Amino acid sequence: MSTSPGTRPSSGSILAALIAIIVFVGLAVVVVANGPQIVRSFFPPEPETAEGHAIFDLYTIVFVIAAIIFFLVEGLIVWTVIRYRRRPGDDELPPQTHGHNFAEVVWTVIPTIIVLFLFVISWQTLNTVEATAATPDLKVRAVAGQFQWSFEYLAPEAGALDKPLFTVNVPTGDDGGLTLPAGKTTHLYLYSPDVIHAFYVPQFLFKRDVVPFADATRNQFDLKLDADTAGQTFRGQCAELCGTGHRIMVFEVHSLDPAKFQAWWEQKLAEAAATPTPPPSGGAGGPVIDLTAQAVKFDKSALEAQANQPFTIHFDNKDQGTPHDVDILDANGAKVFDGQVFQGPAVQDYGVKPLGPGSYKFECSVHPTLMFGTLTVQ
Amino acid sequence: MATTALTPAASAYRSGLYEWLTTTDHKKIGILYVVNSFIFFFLAGILALLVRSELAQPGIQFLQDEHVYNQLFTMHGTVMIFLFIIPMLVGFGNYVVPLQLGAPDMAFPRINALSFWMLPLAGILLFLGFIAGGAAAAGWTSYAPLSEDRLGGLASSGPGQDLWIMGLTLIGTSSILGGINFLVTIFKMRAPGLTMFRLPILVWTVLVTSILQVLATPVLTSALIMLFIDRNYGGHFFDPSTGGSAIMWQNIFWFYSHPAVYIMVLPAMGMISEILPVFSRKPLFGYKAFVFATAGIGALGFSVWAHHMFTTGQVFLPFFSLMTFLIAVPTGVKMFNWIFTLWRGKLTFSTPLLFALGFLSMFLIGGINGAFSAAVPVDFALQDTYWVVAHLHYVLFGGSVFGVFAGVYYWFPKMTGRMLNEALGKLQFVLIFVGFNLTFFPMHQLGLAGMPRRIADYASNVGWNELNLLATIGGFTIALSMIPFLWNVAISLRNGQIAGDDPWEANTLEWATSSPPPPYNFDHLPEIRSERPLFDVRHGRTKPAAVMPDPGPAPQPTH
Repeated sequence: MSTSPGTRPSSGSILAALIAIIVFVGLAVVVVANGPQIVRSFFPPEPETAEGHAIFDLYTIVFVIAAIIFFLVEGLIVWTVIRYRRRPGDDELPPQTHGHNFAEVVWTVIPTIIVLFLFVISWQTLNTVEATAATPDLKVRAVAGQFQWSFEYLAPEAGALDKPLFTVNVPTGDDGGLTLPAGKTTHLYLYSPDVIHAFYVPQFLFKRDVVPFADATRNQFDLKLDADTAGQTFRGQCAELCGTGHRIMVFEVHSLDPAKFQAWWEQKLAEAAATPTPPPSGGAGGPVIDLTAQAVKFDKSALEAQANQPFTIHFDNKDQGTPHDVDILDANGAKVFDGQVFQGPAVQDYGVKPLGPGSYKFECSVHPTLMFGTLTVQ
Repeated sequence: MATTALTPAASAYRSGLYEWLTTTDHKKIGILYVVNSFIFFFLAGILALLVRSELAQPGIQFLQDEHVYNQLFTMHGTVMIFLFIIPMLVGFGNYVVPLQLGAPDMAFPRINALSFWMLPLAGILLFLGFIAGGAAAAGWTSYAPLSEDRLGGLASSGPGQDLWIMGLTLIGTSSILGGINFLVTIFKMRAPGLTMFRLPILVWTVLVTSILQVLATPVLTSALIMLFIDRNYGGHFFDPSTGGSAIMWQNIFWFYSHPAVYIMVLPAMGMISEILPVFSRKPLFGYKAFVFATAGIGALGFSVWAHHMFTTGQVFLPFFSLMTFLIAVPTGVKMFNWIFTLWRGKLTFSTPLLFALGFLSMFLIGGINGAFSAAVPVDFALQDTYWVVAHLHYVLFGGSVFGVFAGVYYWFPKMTGRMLNEALGKLQFVLIFVGFNLTFFPMHQLGLAGMPRRIADYASNVGWNELNLLATIGGFTIALSMIPFLWNVAISLRNGQIAGDDPWEANTLEWATSSPPPPYNFDHLPEIRSERPLFDVRHGRTKPAAVMPDPGPAPQPTH
């Protein structure tokens, strides 16, 4: 398409080259100035578990090999493109090479060796990561339901489906989440009553799908937090699309010094023994308001109650394995009633003390973005 | 035009719209495929822009109902894959393959028309979901039991998921029919002298793609029908609460959808394998190795599906890891074949070559970052994060979409008789190349930092803000690059430079006829003694335009 086969490049191509050089130099300056952070951003977070360290080491090997291949091949492309451009007016045909058997064998064999090497080292790492201890220090069942994590602590000899000693229903915060002893091996069972979720903590460099099974015993792995993580908290999140509330399925993992963990453990056992599970029923009397939670939705978006008179919310949680509650907030967002969280399917009567006239908000504290409505008191 | 008296059917020809609606001419059907695919490309692109806009900053900005967000990315993925990339490549195959074979049409012209017309219908079904109570929202993979909707509307309420199943079944049927049509055409309708090892590489890639389509698509269809039965008639194939298996859906789905990745990229590889030799004025380096590598990818492509399922803990990890690593080898062979086609060539940087080079340099990244996930423990860290989003877009956008645009600029002159404008073409290339990397490169770092896919929002204190904003800016840059493209097409159709038969000094038979070709494609064919018949003619190695034996009456639509 060169209409004027002059010897000098056109002003357009000079401009393009100038822009390219400026962009390239600018990028180079940014990269050099932020070198360490940029290099760091190509690696996963600093690992905090024994398995995470093994994965991080493997990642580093894969990354280095990948980076070398990338720069060699991309450099070859760029160099070829610059070196072998057609000069204006050059109509001579280049040599018509159809192939070169030796070169083709070389670039088949060398990549094969590289990928076989990568396969072998990743298989070895896989065996490390997948290994499970015969006698783990702790057994926990992480239950993932739409859209909530809860953590059930099991007796040392318990199987995947046995009753827990106690359950932590709230997935985040100081009182909630998955509390584990630092430097000890935990065996985690995963259980889902509904759809597929995934247990993922970025700093563990690990995730495992929570696949619902008829027999529910097959998702499990070992996890060993580093001894120096005591006192730290790690963010986890569901990583497999599980529906509308997928994004809110976050949880926290608290690492405790083993002595503190022992104290926490005994306290939880004592609490579980002190409060037998059946919740108080009957409520505070007064008129009864029915409210049902199903599929992480309330069946009503508006409730009405009489002012200055106690009433009862007859709350039916129909969601298998999913905890809900009912809280009532006043116009300023202050909590005037705090219902107990419980897993469905179950029914509870909440007795609510008299409220002054006005408009209130009711919500499920576990799913506030999905389950809420207006309570009019008059 | 033909000089012999045409059959009376010719009088039934009606102009304009009627002709386009009823045509069985592979060239018109090819153009219909391309135009239809571009329409869905723009629709699905708008869905992606909505997703990127919501993710630009932490906090829910405008998609208050997160169920809508799930519909957006589900439909983005579904439409891009099933109504843009696959049919777009089929469209180019439809237009170019019979011409490259020296054939007058596809083997079954009316089945060809049927294959095409299923697609707009399927697209309408899919999009109907938006106005019929919510489109499909369980991701383009529609993992059961989320897609089963047992739990009262958490994932895929309304008929959207059922419409999704019906749409995909139609597209699958179209794909199977198209595959059979291509196979018969390639095996039975080659011009005299055009042996299998003289076939243009594009034809080889379409051949392997067609085999994949014919073998894999029925498997997807069976999965779709099982899902439909589960949802509507109380089946329990994928419902674990009643003894079904959620993992079985994944096995069947990926048994199709991994080969589908090669369905989505092999013809694009074929297209740039046509373009690189022409613009470097050399033959493709290692033709036979390239053919064997293509066949190898097709064969190995059936043994790697479960690498999408490493984190389920329900697959035999070492086998699928090994196979996934091995499939990198034939892909690497192709990469070197392409580079050494350019090596010591004389490169003319027309827009088709720029896009083909974009393919090379970006697909390289998509290949390398895929190897990370082949290392199973590394995949435990990366699976279902934005790393995977980066990887698949480097393969399907950096690879296939760049290949598609290379093909558009390369074959537009043949299709319309006019050249596209070079300056606008280069402007589009720069914008899309920069926009693409701005969008998808930061997703590597986001994924490593732990950002999962398919979330409408993220916390503001976890360090994902800047990279997300960058990706959103990149997304809009890609959208911007469509303006010079559409403008270019619009003005070139009217005023573009007249192309002539062979504007690129190309090698293959489609350039031996007029631009656009007559309905029956060829008056005469040159002698075919190598994979580059036109090159041989141009350099006096063979005789030009040997007169074809009288083919009888030209094929006409019979009504």
